[in-house]
Amino acid sequence: METNGAAASSLDSKLSAELREIVGDAALVWRPSELKVYECDGWTIEKSRPDLLVMPRTTAEVSAVLKALHKRKVAFVPRGAGTGLSGGALPLQAPVMICTSRMNRILSIDLSNRRAEVESGVVNLHVSNAVKADGYFYAPDPSSQMACTIGGNIAENSGGPHTLKYGVTTNHVLGVELVLPDGEIVELGGATEDRLGYDLLGAVIGAEGTAGIVTRATLKLMREPQSRQTLLGIFPDVDSATRAVSATIAAGTIPGAIEMMDRLIIRAVEAAFHLGLPDDAEAVLIIELDGLEAGMSERLERVRELVRGCGASEIRIARDEAERANIWKGRKRAFGAVGRLASNYATQDGVVPRTRLPEILRQIAAIAQRQHLRIGNVFHAGDGNIHPIVLYDERDPDEVRRAIEAGREILQACVQLGGSLSGEHGIGAEKIHEMPLLFSPDDLIVMAELRRVFDPEQRSNPNKIIPTPGACVEVTTPHRQAAL
Amino acid sequence: MGLAQETEARNPALRVATELGTLVGADRLRTPEGPEALAADVIVEPRSADELCKIVFKCEVDGISLAPLGAARTLAELRRGHVTLGVSLARMARVVAYEPDDMTVTAEAGVTLGTLNQLMAPRRQHLPLDPPNPGNVTLGALIGAAKAGPLRLSEGTVRDLLIGVRFVGHGGRIVHGGGRVVKNVAGYDLMKVMTGSHGTLGIVIEATFKVRPMPERYTLATLSFSNPAAAFEAAARIHDALPLVHLEVLSPGVAQNFSIAPQQFAAIAGLCGNRAEIDYQTEKIRSLAEGAALEVVQLASALRLYQRLRDFTLPGPGIIAQVATPPAALARCLQDCGVEFSAHAGCGVAELFMPGEPPAEEAASLVARWREIAAAARGHLRLLSAPASIRGGLDFFGVPSAGVLKLSRRLKAAFDPGGVFNPGCFIGGI
Repeated sequence: METNGAAASSLDSKLSAELREIVGDAALVWRPSELKVYECDGWTIEKSRPDLLVMPRTTAEVSAVLKALHKRKVAFVPRGAGTGLSGGALPLQAPVMICTSRMNRILSIDLSNRRAEVESGVVNLHVSNAVKADGYFYAPDPSSQMACTIGGNIAENSGGPHTLKYGVTTNHVLGVELVLPDGEIVELGGATEDRLGYDLLGAVIGAEGTAGIVTRATLKLMREPQSRQTLLGIFPDVDSATRAVSATIAAGTIPGAIEMMDRLIIRAVEAAFHLGLPDDAEAVLIIELDGLEAGMSERLERVRELVRGCGASEIRIARDEAERANIWKGRKRAFGAVGRLASNYATQDGVVPRTRLPEILRQIAAIAQRQHLRIGNVFHAGDGNIHPIVLYDERDPDEVRRAIEAGREILQACVQLGGSLSGEHGIGAEKIHEMPLLFSPDDLIVMAELRRVFDPEQRSNPNKIIPTPGACVEVTTPHRQAAL
Repeated sequence: MGLAQETEARNPALRVATELGTLVGADRLRTPEGPEALAADVIVEPRSADELCKIVFKCEVDGISLAPLGAARTLAELRRGHVTLGVSLARMARVVAYEPDDMTVTAEAGVTLGTLNQLMAPRRQHLPLDPPNPGNVTLGALIGAAKAGPLRLSEGTVRDLLIGVRFVGHGGRIVHGGGRVVKNVAGYDLMKVMTGSHGTLGIVIEATFKVRPMPERYTLATLSFSNPAAAFEAAARIHDALPLVHLEVLSPGVAQNFSIAPQQFAAIAGLCGNRAEIDYQTEKIRSLAEGAALEVVQLASALRLYQRLRDFTLPGPGIIAQVATPPAALARCLQDCGVEFSAHAGCGVAELFMPGEPPAEEAASLVARWREIAAAARGHLRLLSAPASIRGGLDFFGVPSAGVLKLSRRLKAAFDPGGVFNPGCFIGGI
């Protein structure tokens, strides 16, 4: 229902007027037709539209907005660029969506301390771009880094290919300015590497927007390595590729990245980018070494020998930046390439101990067969963080059901192999019902208590991460509408 | 009143010991030894998580304060008063799973860092956290006090390497967070919450860490300077040019313990890699030294020197504080504090050493002055140790912002509603 200039039906008009007063008319979106864009993030299987979208420009505006919502006990969902893959920005009984994308200024860059202070709506890649000429970079590099925001990365504790060596978001954020759900502004951490007292910052990173809204962050910058060498290994089977992963890492220096693609993805990438990968390749490994120029050729030679010894049928080494970019193009755009194979796909994010990769890949193949689905694998092999891509057609309700089912089975298999539900995408709405596979009721109770430290009324991104006790099994609760 | 009751009234610790003895067996209880006496009245050594759960449950019901002793030293140097019950995990010291190919290790909290690293050495792997004397540091103490050393520059600290934790908390419940995989965002990050919480939220019983490969070769380059500014400037140039393993700057009083000429400041850089990498880095340092005296130590001698550097502390009684600032502000901050120091230069973290046992008032004003200097540099200061005689008047942690204090109190209340876990020794009197 559209009311005359006010927000949609379930919000009281006084609240809408108050929010308009705070952020201005241009920073509110309330027409259902315009809100359609915001009904899901990168997890497209479920959709739910907010009643109102607010796009504040300053911390003061965020604080005022949250105070207004606090007064009326209205729940909200924070959103960055909406690239998340677990439904973290999906509004579930949260009428108001607060989007940080207009808070996109890099506030300061301090190279002598290797710090950057940014607003939370700054795009991930923009940070590295701003310091590249000086020889620095911001390490976490999710595949969506051209669009995703630092605030979203903080919420999800995002990773990326190069986190094998450099760590994930939580290892690179020194401090945040957080607006608590009641509107109070707090500074957690700061410009120093050691914090005083409890590591509240560490509790907020990865809390998936359930602790309030991060408006500013102090990031750690890293020195660009002098040299990078990128090696592509082609394997006749997945097991030997996996052995090469363990052998490389055990060899003494941790590579910058080790990525793997399986047969289905290789075909898709080949069709899209013509990299000259052989038809019979079952697995491709991309290994990137970085560090000093000196000694690099010895290190590369050693890795080449290990990869060959593990059974690679062919090894290519990028001779220049163009060849390196070409190798990475196949990996970073694999998802786009898969888009040619099916109208929809869902990406999973399970983790297994690195040595269990062959087993999980075998199980995924069996699950695909059983559910009559195509599933490709492109993933961070060095971390054991798999990304099975389940292809489906959203117009076929039965196939959607089987895709969801396959996703669950894959996660169960990961947990059974000693792994986890998510390496970098978050639990969100997607995996909330799998949490009891990994955590006991006591674990979940304590986690819920931790959340209430920041958000006693549970109004910041409600119905995420921790399943409500009692409502333990099925996805479809009344407020959740699967996109069938 | 009979004799037994009289004794009990005089000595509540005895009553606790008797009752706990009934609960888990008298052989689990003992009197405090050495520095433990400064921390607790009675020591219990549970043999299993289950026993510890019973103990915690009882303590909560009866309002008995308890604290993990871990390395008793850590707490002994911090505490102002006793807790009734000190929990030693000496009998919960099993390595649960070491997976060299996955590069993870899970162990009970009573295992020492030294033992763990000995176990992994044959596979040329280690847990690269290096507080002083790792043979005395249990994993529980490592996590509880967030201890770190020189390697923090290249390998990070506990919060960067701890991937799973299990603790006994409120109600005697076992709670776990994280897991045994190196990358994991499922659920709230309880590892961060427990790291540096000084036993105020529960008792850590098991931890899983990522481990790292040991470097192929290791070399130390030592430069000496007549003034601190030159030492820090050289350190900054070297840090900017090379991926160092660690980088320490030492004041003369500390440096003289490492064969540095009298009255000289030292910058000590750790290098690793293959032969070509080491050669390149050594030459680079030579070129960046700008005439400062340079000494290069390799292999086993380098390792011995590093270990001494890692283990350095005041030989006698004194005040030890840790200051943290943005790295570029550290030199000025240390100069203003005006005492001997050992700095992790690239990280902006340093230890200040004030030998002796000054009168309480003098010590308090000294610490307050250091704290002001640190704050002016956008940093902060905490005490690591002070003589027992003057400890009562010292503020160990400083005062955080009102917002942080409020959240900290809520966290404590949520995890420890009975207020029994190591009360009164942490930030804001928590």
